[in-house]
Amino acid sequence: MDIGEQNGVVRTALESGNGGAKKLFRFLAVCVLGLAGLAVCTAQAPNSWRQPTTELAGKIADLLGPGQANLTLSNLSSIPNDQVSEIRELLVQALRARGVTAAGPDSANSVRVTLSESAKERLWVAQVIEGNQTKVAMVDAGPASAPRVHAAAGLMLRRKRVFAGHTPILASLETAGGLVILQPQRIAIYSQTAAGWHEQQHADIAPAGPLPRDPRGILLPPSTGHGFVAWLPGTRCTGSFLASAAARYWAIGCHKSDDPWVISSGTRSALSGPGTVAPALPAQLPNGQSNPVASAQSSLPTLKAFYDASRDYFTGVVVPSPRVDLPPFYSAAFVPRPAGGDALLIGGIDGKVQLLANGSLSPVDGVRDWGSDFAALHSGCGTGTQIIVSASGEAVSDSLRAYELPALEAIPASEPLAMNGTVTALWTAPDGRGVMAVVRSAPNQYEVDRVTASCN
Amino acid sequence: MLRRVAISWLLAVLALPAGARTRPHYGGTIHVEVAGDPLVKPGGLARRLILDGLTTLGPEGAVRPALAVNWQSSDAAHRWQFTLRSGVQFQDGSPLTAAGVVNSLHLSCNGNCPWSAVNAVGSELVFTSDSPMPHLPALLAGDDFLIALTVGENGLPPQHPTGTGPFQFKSDANGVLTLAAYQNCWQGRPFADSVEIRGHRSIRDQWLDLSVGRADVVEVPPEMLRRARQQQFTVVTSPPVTLLALELSTSGALANPMLRASIALAVDRGALFNVIFQKQGDLTAALLPRRLTGYAFLFPTDRNLNKAIALRGGTHPPLLRLAADGDSAMQLAAQRIVLNLREAGFRVQMDSGKPQNADMILRMLPLAGSDPAAVMETLLRSAGQSQPVTAQSPAALYRAEKEFLDRHTIVPLLDLPRAWAISGRVRDFTLRADGTPDLADASLEDAQ
Repeated sequence: MDIGEQNGVVRTALESGNGGAKKLFRFLAVCVLGLAGLAVCTAQAPNSWRQPTTELAGKIADLLGPGQANLTLSNLSSIPNDQVSEIRELLVQALRARGVTAAGPDSANSVRVTLSESAKERLWVAQVIEGNQTKVAMVDAGPASAPRVHAAAGLMLRRKRVFAGHTPILASLETAGGLVILQPQRIAIYSQTAAGWHEQQHADIAPAGPLPRDPRGILLPPSTGHGFVAWLPGTRCTGSFLASAAARYWAIGCHKSDDPWVISSGTRSALSGPGTVAPALPAQLPNGQSNPVASAQSSLPTLKAFYDASRDYFTGVVVPSPRVDLPPFYSAAFVPRPAGGDALLIGGIDGKVQLLANGSLSPVDGVRDWGSDFAALHSGCGTGTQIIVSASGEAVSDSLRAYELPALEAIPASEPLAMNGTVTALWTAPDGRGVMAVVRSAPNQYEVDRVTASCN
Repeated sequence: MLRRVAISWLLAVLALPAGARTRPHYGGTIHVEVAGDPLVKPGGLARRLILDGLTTLGPEGAVRPALAVNWQSSDAAHRWQFTLRSGVQFQDGSPLTAAGVVNSLHLSCNGNCPWSAVNAVGSELVFTSDSPMPHLPALLAGDDFLIALTVGENGLPPQHPTGTGPFQFKSDANGVLTLAAYQNCWQGRPFADSVEIRGHRSIRDQWLDLSVGRADVVEVPPEMLRRARQQQFTVVTSPPVTLLALELSTSGALANPMLRASIALAVDRGALFNVIFQKQGDLTAALLPRRLTGYAFLFPTDRNLNKAIALRGGTHPPLLRLAADGDSAMQLAAQRIVLNLREAGFRVQMDSGKPQNADMILRMLPLAGSDPAAVMETLLRSAGQSQPVTAQSPAALYRAEKEFLDRHTIVPLLDLPRAWAISGRVRDFTLRADGTPDLADASLEDAQ
């Protein structure tokens, strides 16, 4: 079936006008897009194989000299079998150009080509057999991994890498003066250059005590929008950007502190009664403009939570008191309620997710696939705010997924967005319109991604 | 009817309140059982928990900083300089110093080191050698070169192994070695409060203890992987990280290279794979697995009895002794090889004495790492054949490997994985590049 025939099928489905037509159209559209993507990949293949086949043909010709040889080709690699015949054809052409022509099995010489690969790279091997003598030639045919195509439905999540490094990252914050990266024993300030982020200044943090195995930290902008406040286990740091005629630099100071961490703006509705609420957001964005999401909440109190540095979780003691005992928890986020006001969503250390609204705690269903990290995202789609949640699997590659909470059941609002590794931290971006994720992509590879949503 | 009941049951299960997966919890004791001695090298499980190396291999096999934060070579890899991590303390509270590391390294290889000299210069360690050491950072990640405290505060060697790792020695009584979490570990304290390791435990007893909840982590030998899965154990398996190989002596009866070549052709790898090791791992006649090189298929694995007999010729060599360095499966495999060789006309008998005195030794060699040249050098070193592997390209490495294998001093047989069965309370259980458990990052579901 060619593309014209496929289009014909699509038209027929649209013209039928029955109730399933839209679904069928959507299904076929995905199929057509998928086939188009596959066609693009396939179309690219011969070009990418031309260089290694030419190189291998040259090595074979050097070993064999001009003449005839029986050519056999076997595939031990992940190259799809439908591309093997194209590779063989390219190889025959390249050999012919060097004076080696393919002959039948009766030929005195034979060339056995094997398309093989290691975990890292494709390796094409030619065994040139003349009588009882075998010579071997090899060429590197590029990396072994193939690109993957992901599709999503409903609310669409996208990620964009903001920063990457080789040391653990606890949190990051974009400010007017650059990018602040919080590490277990270091705060570094980066400035944007044409070549990417460049470290401008750093300050070492003397840990208040032994660090836990997976330390956490929070970086927040102060209400002015300039500088930062950071919390780490047993330590609090502040930084402010000072600019004078003589110099421009960051003043960074850290001290031991068991004070509670600021985790979000508080709300009377969630903690004690009706009111309004939103996550802790600066009044001003890094570009100097006022923050539209924060401007409606500037008068709200701040929610602080005590952190157990040796056990790596929030103890459940929060300020101001919600008048109900909260369990120890890993994550908390404010979510708007359909009836108005907001509620505090808590991810307990026992895996239970509960919603604190109107002074009482209620369990949330549909969280079987949730991990410990979640953050609110003000996408403007659907109910306006979604919860972005890390996955619960132990897979090497984690994922993020958007959920809505119309009642006490979490409803998926997007397809999972595959990340490059394990999500180790997640928080709402200062503008409220995205979430920031720290991803450990390899043992010493960390990256900060900004995840945004678009309405489908 | 049955379908309705099944659907109802499924709906009931789905309706149960299901909690989200949490971050790992701190606390609790992980109970481990092993067949060997957990403190004896190579491969003693407790050694890896107590001690760190200057470098380490990441899960994917790449060399990573550990007690050394960076390193650089000069003089064509004849000289290496490693910078020691600052602020690291041994478990007794004494600081890690370059001089202390030098002392530990001297004891670790007893003169048979890959380097000629190692010196402490401030916080730097300088290794020098007459021959190039292109893969020294990878070699230093090995079990042989873990750094231990050699002199305690009283000026005497410590009574128990003391290092900088995530767990520290607590007690060794009634066959149970107890390790406690090291709070000041430079990598952060581990999640579990303690690890109890019961050594010298038969596989049967290990599995029984796992079944009744007395053990959390037990061994699964490759040949028992299928049975472990049949018993519904949760099994974590590494990629092939050990090479089952037959080491042939180059002296005595096997000084004749034709006889060694004949033995290499007479061994039936298929029988070892199908019968003894229950189709686990991969057949191989190459030193390095295909996942590392891509060219392992160039070394044929087929048995060729006729050629083996022809190579042996009319000679009748004296009685050959074959020893197996390992457990019952290794003994069975050795017995199988004895039969193979007898079919080729050799006179062979099993040797129950010291393996070093045998003409042939069946043993496991390590394959951990992602740099094929470094893995080959480590493997050859563990087989007692110290020689630097300088090849870098696949073609050059193939030539070096072929040249070595053509001497027939090591006959590769099977690439085998390592596997462990774990209880339901253990989470985030991962294996290191060498297939041993990384218990510092594991935690317990029911810890509070």
